[in-house]
Amino acid sequence: MIDIKKEIERDRRAFIKKVLGGSIAGSLLLVLPAGAVDIAEQIPGMREEKAVFTAKRFAFVVDITACIGCGSCCVADKAEYNVPDGHYRTWVERYIIDDHDNVFVDCPDGGLHGYIRAREGLPHPTRDTFFVPKLCNMCEKPSCVQVCPVGATYQTKDGFVLVDKTRCVGCSYCIQACPYSVRFISPATHTAEKCTWCYHRVRKGLLPACVEVCPVHARKFGDLNDKNSEVYKILHEPHVISVLKPDMGNKPALHYVGLRREVV
Amino acid sequence: MHNQSRSKYNSHLIKLIVALIVAGGLGYFARQVFMPASMGTYGHYRGDDIVDQLNVPIRLQTNESCFQCHRPIRQIHKEGIHNSVSCEICHGPFGDHIQDGKKVGVLPVKKGKEITQLCLRCHNKVIQARPRKSIKMIGLPEHLEQKGVRVDHTCDQCHMVHDPLLWINQAKRMMGIKEAI
Ligand code: HEC
Ligand code: HEC
Ligand code: HEC
Ligand code: HEC
Repeated sequence: MIDIKKEIERDRRAFIKKVLGGSIAGSLLLVLPAGAVDIAEQIPGMREEKAVFTAKRFAFVVDITACIGCGSCCVADKAEYNVPDGHYRTWVERYIIDDHDNVFVDCPDGGLHGYIRAREGLPHPTRDTFFVPKLCNMCEKPSCVQVCPVGATYQTKDGFVLVDKTRCVGCSYCIQACPYSVRFISPATHTAEKCTWCYHRVRKGLLPACVEVCPVHARKFGDLNDKNSEVYKILHEPHVISVLKPDMGNKPALHYVGLRREVV
Repeated sequence: MHNQSRSKYNSHLIKLIVALIVAGGLGYFARQVFMPASMGTYGHYRGDDIVDQLNVPIRLQTNESCFQCHRPIRQIHKEGIHNSVSCEICHGPFGDHIQDGKKVGVLPVKKGKEITQLCLRCHNKVIQARPRKSIKMIGLPEHLEQKGVRVDHTCDQCHMVHDPLLWINQAKRMMGIKEAI
């Protein structure tokens, strides 16, 4: 047993290969490296941030002109958090605008199983159609934090709006206050839940799960204080950029590229 | 008469002050008992929740992480056109099969018709909202008819799932074909 451990320390990869190749039988349970091992940092400088709050200013950019509505993000999100059925921390809506400017929106199962069928029975020919992924907007002025009576929903100094499960009493004020409807009461814990931009991953230098899995790179995440980050470049160069419901004054940190005015 | 009323007034005042002190004391005691210690450290919330949030387990890994143990597949996948497609979308989260270094479960591996369904999730032409610049799409059964095979062929019979153009490009090279088959 001790020998095996030494062996692992010496050359993990070669050892795993040997084991998987069957040359060291029966020791499989011992050798698989624990959890996440040496995955390269995906957000530059993240692993040097040791303070309670980072010195970064995060932004999320969703490129509507790239999204194919495959629902990979929804699958990833559900898997990462074991989100209860029928509730969505992130979802993908399909917009169809016809040539009479009628807007049709549908979102079967939040896009979790992808879009399998074309939408039928529309009265006029389609003028424009696109997918809009939705998630927490991480407002600079979050109305959900304002209304929480017990201090369960709060904003960290680096801009994340989070929910403390142990404090939340499930009063649902925040659900009504959120202009973007990203919150729900989890049937498992009876507390409010919502997208966190994968705070636990980001703080460990990984991208949010939905960003990681997006096959067409429609979701982008990064630090606005870093002039080399992709989000900085997008938000500081000419693009069609917009946020959802700017009139609400919540100042979202979630931006959309190519957002049509019909989207709410 | 005047004196008497004043002393009554005083005793009321004393009662009120005592009551206030008792209420304040009780309030303070209740606060100590019911408020979590780290409440208010950084703002009107429980400071320790930051640590709780950090400790949420990571269940999804990156494509690169599969490389350690599934070297050949990841190699093919990485060099192919599907390298932006996440292994875990097709197979389920890493955390379902490895936890704390142990193989704890079996990830689903799709077969036959399920594979076709999986591919159509991203490549189905009927879903018009897909931007052409992002992805190439096919319609069924046209795609199969065009290739001159029976329409019950599944996608993996011609496209290698981990790099859909691998076999096709190999075939093209072998046949010296430049144009589409
Ligand atoms: C497009 C979806 C897709 C992606 C992406 C994908 N796979 Fe697969 N994988 C499949 C399918 C479908 C099969 C079953 C192939 C078959 O039976 O013909 C499979 C088979 C496998 C198998 C073999 C299982 C067995 O018992 O035969 C392993 C291991 C595997 N994949 C690992 C990976 C890894 C690691 C990655 C990422 C580097 C990956 N896959 C990416 C769809 C995918
Ligand atoms: C720590 C090593 C390790 C890592 C990392 C790892 N796997 Fe595996 N995986 C295994 C082992 C061991 C098996 C069982 C192999 C066998 O039975 O032949 C397996 C089997 C599988 C299978 C076949 C079905 C099953 O569960 O038996 C799939 C699919 C798979 N892995 C996908 C992945 C994907 C996707 C990743 C990356 C996110 C990944 N694996 C990362 C060790 C690993
Ligand atoms: C999660 C979404 C997703 C799934 C599932 C998926 N693909 Fe793809 N596929 C893509 C994307 C995105 C590209 C384009 C990659 C690029 O151009 O960089 C692509 C490219 C391709 C191409 C190359 C097209 C070309 O000539 O440029 C083929 C062929 C293909 N996929 C076949 C398949 C098959 C077969 C399956 C089922 C096993 C499948 N795909 C499943 C997203 C997906
Ligand atoms: C009979 C073999 C065969 C089958 C079965 C098959 N394909 Fe293809 N597919 C091809 C060939 C050959 C090409 C052409 C590649 C090229 O032109 O470079 C192709 C091209 C594609 C492309 C790229 C289209 C483009 O415009 O370049 C996609 C996407 C694709 N296939 C998806 C699928 C999916 C999804 C399935 C399952 C429903 C499937 N294929 C089944 C042989 C097949």
